[in-house]
Amino acid sequence: MQLLEQSLERVGRVVLGKEEQIRLAVACLLARGHLLIEDLPGIGKTTLAYTLARVFSLEYRRVQFTSDMLPTDILGVSVFDPEQKRFHLRKGPVFTQLLLADEINRATPKTQSALLEAMEERQVTLDGLTRDLPEPFFVVATQNPVTQTGTFALPESQLDRFLMRVSLGYPAPEVELDLLAGGGERSRTISVEPVMDAGDLLQVMARVEEVRASRELLDYVQRLLDYSRTCGRFAAGLSPRAGLGLLRAARAWALLAGRDYVIPEDVQAVAAPVCEHRLQAVSGAGARGAAEELLEAVAVVR
Amino acid sequence: MTRVYQVPHQAFGWLVGGTLLASLPHLWSGPVWLQLSLPLLLGWRVLAHRGRLSLPGRNVRVLLLLGAVLGTFYSHGTILGPEAGTCLLVAAFGLKMLETFRFRDARVVVVLGYFVLATAFLFGQGPLLSLYVIAVMMMLTAALIGLHHPRGVGNAWRHLRLAAVMMFQALPLMVVLFVLVPRIEPLWSLQMDEPDARTGMSDSVSPGDIGRLSESDEVAFRVSFEQGVPEYRERYWRGLVLSRFDGRTWSRADNAAVDAIDYDWFPREPEPPWLHRLREARQGEEYSYQVILERTGRPWLFALSVPFTDGENRNIGMTRDMRLTHQGDVNQRLAYNVRSYPRAARAMDLDERERELNLRLPGDGNPQARERARALRAQAESDHAFAEAVLRWFNEEEFHYTLSPSRLGDEHIDEFLFSTRRGFCEHYASAYAFLMRAAGIPARLVGGYQGGEMNPLGNYMRIHQYDAHAWVEIWLEPAGWVRVDPTAAVAPERIEFGLERALDERGEGRGAAGVFSRWRENPVLRGLGDFTDYVQFAWQNWILAYDRRDQLALFEQWFGGTSPWRVAVALGIMLGIIVLPLALWILVRRPRYGPLQREYHRVVRWLARRGVRPRSGETPRALIGRAAVELPASAEPLRAWGSAFESVAYGADGGNEQAWRELRRAGRALRSPIPGRSRSRPGDGEQAHSADSER
Amino acid sequence: MAIRERARQLYARWLNRRLPPARSQQLNQRSVFIFPSSYGFLYLLIVVSLFIGGINYENNLIMALAFLLVSLFVVAILHTFRNLSGVEIRAGGYESGFAGDRGSLEVVLTAADGHPHRALEFRWPGGQGGELSVEPGEEKSLWLTVPLSRRGRIHPGRLLVRSTWPLGWLRAWSLVDLDHRCLAWPRPLPGGDCPSGGGDETEGRRIRVQGSDDFQGLRGYVSGDSPRLVDWKAYARSGDLYTKLFADPAEGWLWLEWERMTGQDAETRLARLSWWVLEMERRRRRYGLRIPGTELAPSLGVDHRREALDSLALYGES
Repeated sequence: MQLLEQSLERVGRVVLGKEEQIRLAVACLLARGHLLIEDLPGIGKTTLAYTLARVFSLEYRRVQFTSDMLPTDILGVSVFDPEQKRFHLRKGPVFTQLLLADEINRATPKTQSALLEAMEERQVTLDGLTRDLPEPFFVVATQNPVTQTGTFALPESQLDRFLMRVSLGYPAPEVELDLLAGGGERSRTISVEPVMDAGDLLQVMARVEEVRASRELLDYVQRLLDYSRTCGRFAAGLSPRAGLGLLRAARAWALLAGRDYVIPEDVQAVAAPVCEHRLQAVSGAGARGAAEELLEAVAVVR
Repeated sequence: MTRVYQVPHQAFGWLVGGTLLASLPHLWSGPVWLQLSLPLLLGWRVLAHRGRLSLPGRNVRVLLLLGAVLGTFYSHGTILGPEAGTCLLVAAFGLKMLETFRFRDARVVVVLGYFVLATAFLFGQGPLLSLYVIAVMMMLTAALIGLHHPRGVGNAWRHLRLAAVMMFQALPLMVVLFVLVPRIEPLWSLQMDEPDARTGMSDSVSPGDIGRLSESDEVAFRVSFEQGVPEYRERYWRGLVLSRFDGRTWSRADNAAVDAIDYDWFPREPEPPWLHRLREARQGEEYSYQVILERTGRPWLFALSVPFTDGENRNIGMTRDMRLTHQGDVNQRLAYNVRSYPRAARAMDLDERERELNLRLPGDGNPQARERARALRAQAESDHAFAEAVLRWFNEEEFHYTLSPSRLGDEHIDEFLFSTRRGFCEHYASAYAFLMRAAGIPARLVGGYQGGEMNPLGNYMRIHQYDAHAWVEIWLEPAGWVRVDPTAAVAPERIEFGLERALDERGEGRGAAGVFSRWRENPVLRGLGDFTDYVQFAWQNWILAYDRRDQLALFEQWFGGTSPWRVAVALGIMLGIIVLPLALWILVRRPRYGPLQREYHRVVRWLARRGVRPRSGETPRALIGRAAVELPASAEPLRAWGSAFESVAYGADGGNEQAWRELRRAGRALRSPIPGRSRSRPGDGEQAHSADSER
Repeated sequence: MAIRERARQLYARWLNRRLPPARSQQLNQRSVFIFPSSYGFLYLLIVVSLFIGGINYENNLIMALAFLLVSLFVVAILHTFRNLSGVEIRAGGYESGFAGDRGSLEVVLTAADGHPHRALEFRWPGGQGGELSVEPGEEKSLWLTVPLSRRGRIHPGRLLVRSTWPLGWLRAWSLVDLDHRCLAWPRPLPGGDCPSGGGDETEGRRIRVQGSDDFQGLRGYVSGDSPRLVDWKAYARSGDLYTKLFADPAEGWLWLEWERMTGQDAETRLARLSWWVLEMERRRRRYGLRIPGTELAPSLGVDHRREALDSLALYGES
């Protein structure tokens, strides 16, 4: 438990003023989910991903997506080895523990779906051979605002594969002041020391599964899902996968708070990052966030 | 072309299914064109719903309707009356499905469905059909719920469940209405058409007629005895008396002959002298029972000799040949009460014309039989001894009781008595009566049933078609009409134990029907058979036969009178007794909370009274935190309750009894006006206030 | 005529006593009315004919079925009644509009009694209807239009809540006064002199029709900037995207004043002011507003526009 606190604190020292987002990112990682960060460039996405990798001693790769990228550029490719006279797999960047997929929406849908499939299956099939990805496997994808030209928005069904979507946003004025005063990020990043190794992390992940969710709480989650499907404000309600994700994220959140059971606050805390990218409001609905609306409409205790 | 109204998906299945099933009982017996066209129409509608086909325009619909009218006229010869009417109704009902352009049309289909469903009872009234009708009614109701369900989501099975719940809630009220709403006499007389098939005894007996009836396992009638059950061999159910013989067939005397002797009497008519004498002679053995007769399509009723009615049913009269008769054919099940006095028969006299009628034989034919009758009579000392002698002859000579008699030619009594000697009851009865008349003894054939099987469940007797029987009555001085059963001389088991046993002993069976009845010897199947028959009987007895008379008796017994105001008040009170709890149940019943929710809502109400209302989407922890700030006086017990609640609702020790006790205790401490930990603060106005408002 | 008017008054007074106005109301026995719908009467007609048929054919089962249908009707009364009773209706937000157009009002529903309430139909007098269901533990809201017949604060009258769920044989309804208001802004009347006096500018000067936007400079393109503001010429020259910035002139605010509109009646003045507010917004020009009882400091933007129109709508109303 202390280790978790310590890691949060470590990351917070590098990525300044974003405690909430860091906590969500770690929860997402613990819940074995993938993270989608939607923001403008230069906000600190890379730093966040890199620091997470450092703190948890994860193998880290970064892929900058471009429109001319092919699926093999990510997954890997078989190359002919003239000396040994046989094909030999050159593993792509996806074979890592923490993959930062930068500007994923610049790639063509074909490339996107190759990555997303690997994320879902946690394995890659190349030339008929299936290879498992390392454990743990965590993707942090970043996406620029979709209005920009030359981008391919992720389709809704693909968005569902990300457990959470967060946005970092500009730093608060006082934080920015610190940032400016404290010199470059790089120096701070390099000084980050690991807190856990991958084995510790897997252990913690296993403990997430054991966090208790009572009947009462499951009932609450179910009613949230039900409401999203029946209220008529969303084009499509939350999928069962979204429901499971919401619960897993809430468990991780509870664990981060040092509890071995989930309370409704946990669900509410992760509801926005988990649900908002999966809910599309029908036109004319209010400007409030979908998750906010959901949480307000459904009573916590029946 | 009007746009097709999209019947909501969740309602469509019930609507089409309900329509089809509501019409099914009619299709069963309906004309072929209806059987074919209704599924076609429904199929058309289903395809239209799927968008594969468009609905027909007005002209096509008018043509189809015209076709239905013509078809009905073609099949029934009319378009009026119950049968033709329902046929047309069902056809129109199917056509209406093609017209469900709008929400309104779909709703009308449902109401029509209820009506069509009800008309099924015109043609059958069994308990199974009633269950079927209830089930289909539930489907139609579910369709109606689906039609009114808000757009979008709706679960068809939940609609069926709601329909079932509503029907269930309606049942007690229905029972009260059924029992207590005064039955009115028919406003105008409506009779069902002549039924196509008549079953049971016909009004004449020729050789082989009764043998054919023995193939049938159907129940002819049921009898429940109030007093005394006759021995098996005494169970002679007289139905009709046949006095005319043409050399082959026995039939009823023609009307002219009968009217002359003041033949029958119906209640409210002046009593003829013979009836008066019969009444005077009521003494000795007495059987009191109710007969529930299946539909026969004929006017005669069955009873033990000598039957008297209670005069309640004005359509039931008595005849000079000591039978009951019905005015008009019995086209529905009929229940009637009878008292029988076997000894009263001797009070009946023999009118001269009657004697002549019962002695009449064709001018010639069957010379051998006539000769034998004269010879035997000459040997006998008396008519009585002669009758005995003939029976002895039957018994001693090689006469066979069999279901498959040899074919007989023109002189069939001679042939039967002197050459084939194989026959069923009607052969023996016919020959015996012939011999009696030939010897100058008035004799007549009696048709009816002999036997009857008790059902241990419900203690009633059932008489089947295979119990059909014919026997003879002869006039002997001074005893009057005496029953003689020549079959008993040939096959005594028939009379003692029934047909089955008699045939068994002769190595015969009743064909397919016999095989079926063999199964019934299995105790389980027999019990099952008894049970289903009992259900039928109870259904008939308690529900179908419930009438004005029963109702008046009930009023008399329960409310001590039958005056209109008394009935009205009783009805009002009973309705109140039923509707009030129902209303309370539906209107006031709180939704079912679990114990945890109850605990929570109790505190929420407590807070609401103090001005702290939960916000939408607020978690218990947040609510308690806010309340603790707003009600500082109760902050401590509130927090205690909050953490207790959290540990029960979400914590690791959720089901733990200890945690539950803690929660209840915290709840009590919070609401308690008794000074607790929270009371230590000075100036605690909040607590004082809470003391009043909490109960 | 007079009698009818009198009857209407009595009815309104009776309703007021029975269902007094309140921002939030839970429907109950006092406030729900119920009566068979025309479909219900059709149903009853069928039931009665079945009953008569049962009597005439002396058919107990047809009669029993008729009784069952009657009982079902009674049960339906209770269900329909309960479907409406117990629901809590609250006044929500409002959206104002110009007089003669439509405004809309929000009603918020909760199943306060813990029962579901299905297929409820809502309508303000003269407005369009909407349908909504609410399950226990949910809160739902619905925006409904109301006609705005005149300028000012509009009280839409009583909200009709109606439902025929579940079987449609009965119609339960209530007429609740949610004490809900929305504002009808004065309908803009174009033209006329601008009733303005600018800060530094000469009083009564007619404002410039064009060129109110002063070019201020360029800055780097940030995603989200309107393509219309992109300096395409600069792009052609340098290949970089720049966004043009404009600033209001320092003296570019003015006061729209009631006092300056002489010789017009109050409604006309309000209508013209309303038009000028829109015009100022269109020209992106800061403006203030002075009308008797209200003064609005110069500003620009959606909020300011609404505030200005609201105060015009509320002129002369308490």
